[in-house]
Amino acid sequence: MRKVIISLLITMSTTIFSSETTSITRSGYFHISYQSELKPITINQMHNWILHIETAQGDPVSGAKISVSGGMPLHNHGLPTNPKVTTDLGGGKYKLEGLRFHMRGYWELMVIIEVQGRRDTGIVKLNI
Amino acid sequence: MAVISAITWFYLKPTDSASWTKSDLVILEDLAIYSLPTLPPDLSNAVAQNIDAARFGHSLFFDTRMSVNGLVSCATCHSPEKQFSDGLPKGRGIGLSDRNTRTIVGSAYSPWQYWDGRKDSQWSQALSPLEDPDEHGGNRMYYARFISEDPGYRRAYESLFGSLPHFNDKNRFPDGAGPIGNPAIFSAWENMATKDKHTVNIVFANIGKVLAAYQRLLIPGESKFDYYVKALLQNNNDKAETIFTKQEIRGLRLFINEAKCTDCHNGALFTNNEFHNTGSLSFPSEMPDRGRIDGVRKVLADPFNCLGPYSDDPTRNCPELTFVREGVELIGAMRTPTLRNLEGTAPYGHKGQFQTLNQVLEQYNDSPLAMIGHNEVENPLGLSISELDSIEAFLNTLNSPLITSPEWLNPPRLEISSTAVLQ
Repeated sequence: MRKVIISLLITMSTTIFSSETTSITRSGYFHISYQSELKPITINQMHNWILHIETAQGDPVSGAKISVSGGMPLHNHGLPTNPKVTTDLGGGKYKLEGLRFHMRGYWELMVIIEVQGRRDTGIVKLNI
Repeated sequence: MAVISAITWFYLKPTDSASWTKSDLVILEDLAIYSLPTLPPDLSNAVAQNIDAARFGHSLFFDTRMSVNGLVSCATCHSPEKQFSDGLPKGRGIGLSDRNTRTIVGSAYSPWQYWDGRKDSQWSQALSPLEDPDEHGGNRMYYARFISEDPGYRRAYESLFGSLPHFNDKNRFPDGAGPIGNPAIFSAWENMATKDKHTVNIVFANIGKVLAAYQRLLIPGESKFDYYVKALLQNNNDKAETIFTKQEIRGLRLFINEAKCTDCHNGALFTNNEFHNTGSLSFPSEMPDRGRIDGVRKVLADPFNCLGPYSDDPTRNCPELTFVREGVELIGAMRTPTLRNLEGTAPYGHKGQFQTLNQVLEQYNDSPLAMIGHNEVENPLGLSISELDSIEAFLNTLNSPLITSPEWLNPPRLEISSTAVLQ
């Protein structure tokens, strides 16, 4: 019985609050993926990511204006920093600087992408 | 859902002495002092790692001449006998400070200083009390001249930073001058040439840098809790159970689980050094403290911040300041304090509003509405008195001696001031 309950809880938690390194924006225009320079991502360490933006067809998206916000939805608070995309690295890659997570748990990053008159929002989910 | 919760509670609730889960052990290992990394260099302070600078700072730290009335030193509020705090509701120097005195032990690890994070380095923090009318009450011109005129301090300074001006020309360098303080001091500062102000600011910043070089040495050591975790990680449960009582084990289990304390009190120093509004009531008769919302404005405007002209980092690589957050979440938010070495540091809270640890725990248990802003602890914990007592018992296992050599914990036997020569 105990094993069943544990399995059930693990399945529920991984389904609802799973980490995903890729995300599709709400209107389906873009695919977002990321690579963290800090592996594994741990709390209380400032670090940077490389965001990779592609069209739904898999073509890299360059020249986009990208803003990032987020927080812990279960705690009802935001990020402890104000991360910013500082460099368009070309080939659909962007340097996102100034990330730090100050609590263990489930985090969401909201990534707003604007390019050539098209704007869409994606959610990056991660468990730390 | 309630049924599942009840069944889960019934089957999974551990007994007080039961073994820890793998995920519990990950958290415990993270909290143990052994996970504290080597102190990273402070690139904004070129003498942060310099032992001669630490000796100079050590002497200044205990020197009451570093105040306008000759009675107040850094150690007045940061007393080694009280975990480098003062055991008072609010710091008392020349007058009464606005807030409770935080310990400086381990503060070198924090990207922010003070309850509101209005300073972003230890050296920059060390400057503020010197000019605060309620603390040391001096001004930067006074301190620059003091170092310049004391033969021992002058030698110490010049061996670290090079030639020091004499400040003899009172037309250029008045007796007292600084941007903070009474109108006469402020006016004298305003009338100084920009170049001369810069000269004084450099000396003033360097005073902060030697004080920081000393304060970086103040690091907590192994506590009973750490010995307990070490035994657990060595799979020596028999030894572990001789170290912790059942009540302390129960308190620790609550601390990392139901009480959610490790949301903020995480890492080896039991602090994420971030800013949270926890609904703490104001000090009686005072308006609520705005906390970080004002602190962030101050640190961004501070000429002694990481991006400013007095930083020694030529790259000005200051990610904490560059990517600092602002916004309404910071209203009433205060920096999470360490929970190591709380012994003898009561009262607690940013205004010293809590006389005992029990009162602090009851605050979280009740989770009142914040007077300003939003209390992040949205739901009362609902713990029993017995459970709160257990958490308090656990917190008392976090007391430890410092790893710092005893010679640094008392006034220097041979002050480098006046006669001694820095080796």
